[in-house]
Amino acid sequence: MNSRKKHLKNRINKALQMPDEIDFETPKLTILKFEEVLIENYKGILEYQDFFVRIQTFIGIININGFKLTLEEMTSDDLVVKGKIESIDFESIVGNGED
Amino acid sequence: MHIKTVIYYILGYVNVVVEGFFIERFINTCISKRIFLWNTNRNKATIFSANTSISNYREVVKIAKKCQCKIKINKKRGLPFILNKYRKRKLFAITLVVIILAIFTISNFIWNIEISGINEEKQKEILSFINNEGVNVGIYKKKVNIQGLINKIRIAREDIAWIGMEMKGTNLVIKVVEADEKPQIIDKDEWCNIIAKKDGIIAKVEALNGTPIVSEGDTVKKGDILVQGWIEGEHTENRYVHAEGNVMAKVWYSEKEKVYYKQEYENQTGNKEKKYTLNINNFKINLFKTLSKFQNYDTISTIKKLKITSNFYLPVEIIVDEHLEKQKRQANYSKNEAKEIGINNLKNKLNEQIQDEGNISNIYINTSETEDYIEVEVIYEVLENIGTKEKL
Repeated sequence: MNSRKKHLKNRINKALQMPDEIDFETPKLTILKFEEVLIENYKGILEYQDFFVRIQTFIGIININGFKLTLEEMTSDDLVVKGKIESIDFESIVGNGED
Repeated sequence: MHIKTVIYYILGYVNVVVEGFFIERFINTCISKRIFLWNTNRNKATIFSANTSISNYREVVKIAKKCQCKIKINKKRGLPFILNKYRKRKLFAITLVVIILAIFTISNFIWNIEISGINEEKQKEILSFINNEGVNVGIYKKKVNIQGLINKIRIAREDIAWIGMEMKGTNLVIKVVEADEKPQIIDKDEWCNIIAKKDGIIAKVEALNGTPIVSEGDTVKKGDILVQGWIEGEHTENRYVHAEGNVMAKVWYSEKEKVYYKQEYENQTGNKEKKYTLNINNFKINLFKTLSKFQNYDTISTIKKLKITSNFYLPVEIIVDEHLEKQKRQANYSKNEAKEIGINNLKNKLNEQIQDEGNISNIYINTSETEDYIEVEVIYEVLENIGTKEKL
């Protein structure tokens, strides 16, 4: 998807007042307590360890650190990570300048 | 998600252990091929375990091979594996089916009729009435027309105010409310006499209406007229009336008893023995064939109906015969003791006969002694109203 098309799509979405997460390229994180993270609109799992989960999305990578992490409710666009979550950080690959 | 795992339990699932360096690739391909993995666990850096359904297992194996991972089944869970385990035990399966079918068929019949709300005599009457209508223990449930049966009973019997029937499981519950018995009332307009209902000696006559034909001190017998229901006039013809009044009379109640000085009585030793008998539709099977080990004993039989739940009776009864051993003992009484015992026994008997103990005016006690026994007689003199009304 080139930047022009993206731009047009953004404008249509704004005009229709669509919520951002409707766009399937926008990941949405829902954190429940410190034990459960629901990630919608993800691309794939890059790394899965007991203490570290690395998830690829369309706009970057989500790193989840913790203990006894398990993957649950895996479907092609939702994923739940359960366990003792210590920290979540992001590695963005999309530039800030998006007009 | 919870429901999904339950469904997978019914369909059967396997716990697989995947070992290799490209586990993330394995997970990603599984997700993209829409294979549901749950209960995932990363034990070590190269070992990954997860649950997957039986139908997906072949696919999972293929994916694992593509990702250069070793795959191994750790556990097999779910109904298909349990059934497979008992596959060779055909008799077990057959009996299970037979039992289920038997329970289904048995539950279509009535195996117990329960009547409540009335005394035993009337219960038996109603039971025999129902049996005559064709409703027996063991009848097919749908043959019973409850409303029709209720109507028939209500028409046939006047002493019942309300009757309700309900089928609970294999139990037919009949609840009855008895109607109060109406006393025989003679209408004020009708003519009547007052007659004696007991033998006695008249103590007092209070006639409110009618002609008293007995006076104080007269001896009357049962059925004698006490107050006539007509008034004889000298100049007019007999005028009939509704006689009314109280006739008090002395009535005697007496009881006799011989009390022996030497008495044999039986005493229970406390030893018990239980014998069981199975009863299937009056076909009895003794579970213990041996005779009782006691020489003298009382037997108490109780019938237990087998039931699964509180209302699901089975057509099988267990009869429990309890044998209680007893011993013969001898007791020696002195004359006074024997007399006391006799008087007490007789008083208890007499108290049951009379309605009100406050009306007792005199108690006479006669005794006659012989060598072996003492004969005691107790007489109550009771002041009672002995008049009842009888239509002319």
